[in-house]
Amino acid sequence: MIFEQTKPGLSVMAQNNGSHEFVCFAVTVAEKLRKQIESTKFVAAVWAKLKGRIPPGRLAKRLVPMTLKTIAMKLLECRMKINCLYPFIALLMSWNGVGGLAQDLGPDDWTKVQELERSRIAAIQKAVPSVVAIYGEDRQGGGSGVLIDPNGIALTNHHVIMGAGVSGWGGISDGNLYRWDLIGTDPGGDVAVILLRGRDDFPYTKLADSDRIRVGDWAMAMGNPFLLTEDQTPTVTMGIVSGIKRYQPGAGDNQLIYGNCIQVDSSINPGNSGGPLFDLKADIMGINGRGSFQDRGRVNVGLGYAISANQIKNFLPDLLATKLVEHGSLDANFSNRDGKVVCSTINELSKIAEAGLALGDRLLEFEDVKIESANQFTNLICTLPEDWPASLLIEKEDGTQLSLCVRLLGLPYAKPPLPPAPEKEPTPEEKQALDRQKQMFELLRAEPGTIRNMEANRKFADWLISQIDRPDPAREQGIRIVDEIRRGEERIGSCRTEFASDGTFEVAWELEGKSQTFSFENEKFFEIVDGQKNELTLTQAKLAAPIVQAMGTAFMNRRTGFERFGELQLDGSDKANLMVSSRMKLIDAEADWFYFWVSLADHSQNVEATLVKASAEQDCDNRRGGIVFEDWRVESGWKIAHRRHLVMGLKESILFTLHTQSVELVPGERK
Amino acid sequence: MKFERIAKTSFSCWIVNSLVLASLWLAFGAVAWGQDESLDALIDGAQKKMVKIFGATAGRVEGYGTGILVSNNGLIVTAQGVYLDGPQVRVLLADGSEHVATILRRDRMVQLALLKIDCETPNYFDLSNESGSQKGDWILAISNAFKVADQDEPLSVTMGNIGLQSSIDARLNQRDVAYRGDIVLLDAITSNPGAAGGAVVNLEGKLVGTIGKIINSSETNTRLNYAVPAKIIAAFVAGTYQSDDQSTVQAAPAKPADLGIKLFSLAGRKNPAYIDRVIPNGPADKVGLTTDDLIITIAGEKVGTIIEYEAAVTKLFPGEEVLIVVKRGTKILQVPITPEEKKQ
Repeated sequence: MIFEQTKPGLSVMAQNNGSHEFVCFAVTVAEKLRKQIESTKFVAAVWAKLKGRIPPGRLAKRLVPMTLKTIAMKLLECRMKINCLYPFIALLMSWNGVGGLAQDLGPDDWTKVQELERSRIAAIQKAVPSVVAIYGEDRQGGGSGVLIDPNGIALTNHHVIMGAGVSGWGGISDGNLYRWDLIGTDPGGDVAVILLRGRDDFPYTKLADSDRIRVGDWAMAMGNPFLLTEDQTPTVTMGIVSGIKRYQPGAGDNQLIYGNCIQVDSSINPGNSGGPLFDLKADIMGINGRGSFQDRGRVNVGLGYAISANQIKNFLPDLLATKLVEHGSLDANFSNRDGKVVCSTINELSKIAEAGLALGDRLLEFEDVKIESANQFTNLICTLPEDWPASLLIEKEDGTQLSLCVRLLGLPYAKPPLPPAPEKEPTPEEKQALDRQKQMFELLRAEPGTIRNMEANRKFADWLISQIDRPDPAREQGIRIVDEIRRGEERIGSCRTEFASDGTFEVAWELEGKSQTFSFENEKFFEIVDGQKNELTLTQAKLAAPIVQAMGTAFMNRRTGFERFGELQLDGSDKANLMVSSRMKLIDAEADWFYFWVSLADHSQNVEATLVKASAEQDCDNRRGGIVFEDWRVESGWKIAHRRHLVMGLKESILFTLHTQSVELVPGERK
Repeated sequence: MKFERIAKTSFSCWIVNSLVLASLWLAFGAVAWGQDESLDALIDGAQKKMVKIFGATAGRVEGYGTGILVSNNGLIVTAQGVYLDGPQVRVLLADGSEHVATILRRDRMVQLALLKIDCETPNYFDLSNESGSQKGDWILAISNAFKVADQDEPLSVTMGNIGLQSSIDARLNQRDVAYRGDIVLLDAITSNPGAAGGAVVNLEGKLVGTIGKIINSSETNTRLNYAVPAKIIAAFVAGTYQSDDQSTVQAAPAKPADLGIKLFSLAGRKNPAYIDRVIPNGPADKVGLTTDDLIITIAGEKVGTIIEYEAAVTKLFPGEEVLIVVKRGTKILQVPITPEEKKQ
């Protein structure tokens, strides 16, 4: 039936089957098969070209009389491949016209094409193992997820864990189910982080830079739609990016808002939620979470939405810190007026008002992005967590420009009321279900922004530190770094830091005529005055810029970090030196603390952590500055930041900079 | 000898098959990736020639649509719809600028509307430019389905193939659509709220057609993804479009059929479909059906109750012979019957 190319084919099929969409498909198939016959001529030419033996005419002669049905039957024997192929046949025809291809493509093109095709297949093979089918404790229902780390860190949707609970089972394509626990969740952006247990070599994929995505890019959605999988292998659907920077409104109190998200025509169906959207390099462009649905029901109609990878990067430190994360708000709003984006409402008591924003001020830039519409601002702020240091460039009515930076306020969620206690003694099964329900309520009633599980939090803090690629832990020689201190272009001092192979150091510092010498040995800090060593407490040491800048270098090079100083916490998401960073907090025995910021960056296969900033205070206020580390290079087996800035305030204004002048090896033991 | 030859032939078949597979994979790679930049430019170019339209809402009917610019002086083609009935129709150009449109022409048969805005529109689809696209070609369908885009935000882009170019047979379901002209069937999902009037372009950026209004099959609850071909749009804009007279006659399909049967009915509607009496000289009478015959199927469709009988009759066409199966006593009879037009 399908192969009968009759004119009334459409109505015949429609009457018998009644499904228009099926008709469309069937006719497409028939038509494409017909074209395939036409293409045999060109295949013959290609064949001859490749093999250089058989004259094309002879082969073509044999093939052309083949009946449609013979070819069709042959093709159906490898149905899987064919299904993928029809569009490509059509593409080929549309692009080159029948038979034109063999002439147009040289041997180099073929090689290139083969490479590209192999890379696409490789991408699917690479991506598939990292996809998780997520089930609750009862191994029912569920959604999808994706592993982003060999230790089992995986992403999914908040609404998936709302259904599945705070723990459950996750299946991957090795056919096994692994236990998972919820780590952190972001109801506002519909992202949750879970941890799969049972392996330290989970297959994983990494997050792409989603700002580079363009409309028309290929997009592969993977997951477990309609819970089809029996062996935990995900379903793969392919389409294109239909739109970027989309906004989809939320539900309830500040929940499930998709801002700056990616719209795709890859099929996204119930069960795909939480699954990854891959590009053709098998990097995660986003997490699929919702679609536009018709009145006919919740099935794909060609509009799916994915939370962008870059938004997830902003929230990941907060989520790994085991928080219930809120989204950020300026406590001020903007609207379009005469082609300008101006402040239309503002809370006069808010931090942003205090910083200088007033009604009627024009917004020029937000987070270093030029703002052209109020929607664009709403879209951007949706991707930022509470406490994020957001920067604005505004223009006052008199034309003066002002740059502001404030930490964002949290947008609260409604706390669900506790369920009533059961009237009669529950059965063991009921009790289990009630316990799970209770855990869910506890999660959603947690104080937003606080660390819910300190043990897990410390584990992720250690995990982050372990992502630092220390160049040569078994080194035998120390190093001497000589810096020039400059304010702008003006030289105002110098600094000489000498590290022993174990990371202990002595630093001689001269600034505007004033000299100081510090040292760090046996895990203690000293100030050396006239050859006398005076021990410093952490409280004193952390305020001395010479020590902090040297500590940063030691941190990136020591065999061990600074665990012995006290307890390390993952404090949450932050921005340091314009980079998305994890803010770490080190708390010593006397409950004194120290902050440092670590950013994760992709280096080929491995995620690598780098120290970005270190400071005594979270916001390095005007009393206590912070050091920003830039331009890390490996020299003589040591990692050295060639520029270290002393910065002040949230805006990180630079007071002065240490420029590395020379680096030389010295004997490993200091005298 | 003969055997050998057969073996050889079938072997070469296989080679070719696997080659077809291999070479097409390759070709896909080259085109799809190598032309990335041009695809970007193509989408951008098409977006500039398109508009978002907002108008009145009525109940659950969406109050928005998509349109294409077809001249440099603000002529817009979109799909005919309730949203054009409001006091004001707002048109947003790709740059986000807003204009009030006047409706020049609407055609209920072809389901198109011609609007005009008072401004210069240097980017537009040239309707005299034939797309030359055929069955099997790739297309991009661009629309504001679900009004995902607002202001200057770009419209949604989806990708697929042309499945077929044919005339639509209104028989799909006589109540679904009045239009009986040519259509382009697509395998991309385009049949969404607000998508009608959107552009379907080929990979050279030429207009293949505009996304058609939603056609919903009341029988299967599925929708047809199709476009109205560019040549019909061109004719509509030029004012030369005329629905085929004959089709129009046929297309007034809502003429109900009648079999000349009165069923035996008690109070309930779930009763089996026993014939109470036949109208003298009616279709049933002509073929010898009689009182107490139990109707089992009509045109292949099972008839268990009076309700199902009524539903089955609405799908018949006057003058078109179908098979009716009845039980008379212990015998099953198959009788061809030709329904006639129901007398009002």
